[in-house]
Amino acid sequence: MLDSEASGVAAVATSSVKSAMVTDSTTNASIPMAASNSKDFAKKKRVNRSAKLKQCKLDARREQWLSQVKNKGGFGDSSGHPPCSESHSSMENLEVKPRVEKEGGSIYHHYSDSDSASNSPTSHTSSVSGSSNVSGTIFTGSGGSSSSSGGSCSGSITGEDEDDDGCLDDWEAVADALAVTNVKQEQDKLSFDNRRVVPSVSPPELKPEERVEGNVQKGPPNCRAWKPDDAFRPQTLPNLAKQLSFPMKSGRQYGCAWGCKNVVSVPSTCPICCEDLDYTDSRFLPCSCGFRLCLFCHKRILEDDGRCPGCRKQYDYEPIKGEATIDGGSLTFKLGRSCSMIIRS
Amino acid sequence: MVDFARVQKELQECNKDIDVSGISIKLKGDSNSLTHLTGTIPGPLATPYEGGNFNIDIVLPDGYPFEPPRMQFATKVWHPNISSQSGAICLDILKDQWSPALTLKTALLSVQALLSAPEPDDPQDAVVAQQYLRDYQTFAATARYWTETFARTSTLGIEDKVKKLVEMGFPEALVRSTLESVGGDENMALEKLCSG
Repeated sequence: MLDSEASGVAAVATSSVKSAMVTDSTTNASIPMAASNSKDFAKKKRVNRSAKLKQCKLDARREQWLSQVKNKGGFGDSSGHPPCSESHSSMENLEVKPRVEKEGGSIYHHYSDSDSASNSPTSHTSSVSGSSNVSGTIFTGSGGSSSSSGGSCSGSITGEDEDDDGCLDDWEAVADALAVTNVKQEQDKLSFDNRRVVPSVSPPELKPEERVEGNVQKGPPNCRAWKPDDAFRPQTLPNLAKQLSFPMKSGRQYGCAWGCKNVVSVPSTCPICCEDLDYTDSRFLPCSCGFRLCLFCHKRILEDDGRCPGCRKQYDYEPIKGEATIDGGSLTFKLGRSCSMIIRS
Repeated sequence: MVDFARVQKELQECNKDIDVSGISIKLKGDSNSLTHLTGTIPGPLATPYEGGNFNIDIVLPDGYPFEPPRMQFATKVWHPNISSQSGAICLDILKDQWSPALTLKTALLSVQALLSAPEPDDPQDAVVAQQYLRDYQTFAATARYWTETFARTSTLGIEDKVKKLVEMGFPEALVRSTLESVGGDENMALEKLCSG
C-alpha cells in the first residue's frame, strides 16, 4: 500500500502540476487550441523538474487531509469536496453543481468533478473533473458570486492542498479503473465532458467573469487542451509513447533485416544461366542446402547427373514428380504413406 | 550449345577484379569464338612457381556450364599433377566434381591452388610425382627452373628485349625474328639464338 500510495502521490503531483501549468499557460495564451497543445509539451518538461517539489507539497497536503478527515469524519467522502477550507460559499457552489450536473450527468461525476477541481491530477478523471469544475464555477458565477467562482478556480491551484485527499482516494480507484477500461472509452467520456463544458462556457453570463478573471477561461481551454493530454498523460501517455517508439525502432530494424535477408537468400538471377529468376523460380528451393536455380537449369541437371550444384548431393526425386505431374506425385505420396502405415501397424 | 550470356558475364566479372586476383581470361589468339579462351594465373607465392605467369588454354564444351571446361596448361610446368608434356591437368573439379555453380574464374583459382598444393599420390605426370616424393629439393629446383624458363614474362618491352639481345652480340634482324618465333619470350629467344 505504501508503495502504491507513494506512486499515486507522485502521479498526482505531476498531474496537479500539469494542471496548474495548464491554467497558467491558458491564462496567458487565451483560447487557441493548438497553442495550448504545444504548450502542454513544454509544460510536461517543467512538470518533471518541479515534480519532486510537488511530491513534498503533496505529502504535506495529505497530512492535512488526514487531519481534516479525522476532524470532519465521514463528511469528507460523501459530500467530500467540501473539505475546502476556503468558505461556505464554495460549499454552496458545490451544492449547486450537483443539481446542475444531475441534469446532464450522474452524481458520480460530481464527486469526480469536485475531486478534479481540487485534484485535477488524475488523468482522465481529472480532465473530466476539470470540465465539471468549470461548469460548476460557471453556474456559481451565474448564481451571482463572481468572487466565489474566482475563488474556486484559484482554489484549484492553491486550494489543492485541502482537496487532495479525495483526489488520492479517487486517484487510486481511477487508476484501477483506467487499467481496465479502454483508453478510447475514456477519451470518449472526455469528449462528452468537453461538449458539456462548451455550452456552459458559451452562455453570456460567463463573459463578464472571463473578463474579470482569466481563470474562468482557463477551464474550457484547459479541458480541451488537456483531454488529449490528460487521457495520455499519467498512464496512457507512457503506453502510447512506447507504442509509438517501439514499433518505429523495431520496424526499422526488422525492415533492414528482412531486406538484407531477402537480398541474400534469393538471388535475382540464376547462378547457372544468369537469367532473371521469375516468381516461380524464386520460390523454387530444390535442395536443402538452399542453393537456388531456375527451373530450366534444374531440369537440365536432372537430365544429367542430378546433383545439386551447390552441395553436389543428389537431388531428391520427389520435387521432380511434384513439378512434372502433381497428381502423380500426390498419388505416389499417398501410397507411400499408406504403405508405411501398414508396415508400422 | 554453350551459354554465351553466362560466358560473357563470367569474362566481365573475372576481368573486373583482375588487379586483386591476378587471374585474367581472354579470347584465345586469333579466334573470336567465346568457346576458345586463354586464362592466365600467377604462380602462387612461396612456391617454385612464384614469379611465373601461366597460360591455360580453355575450351568450352557445348554443354558448358553443365559440363566442365577443358583446361590445359599452355605454359610448360613442372608439377606432379600437370603433364610436363601436354599440360593436361589432373583436377577433380575439371572432371567428375565439376559443378555448374563453378565458373571459369573459380576453376582457375582451383588450378592456382593446385600449384601450391600438389597431390603426388594422384599424379598426372608420374616422373614428376616420383621426383616430388623421393627428392623434393631436386623437384623444387627443377620446377623453379621451368618457371624461370617458360613462365617468366619479362617486364621489358619488346624493344628492350631486342636491345638487350643485340648488346649480347646478335644481329638485330635475327633477334627480332627469333623473338617473334618464340612469342616474345626473352629466354626462349636467347636459347634459340645460342643453339641456332
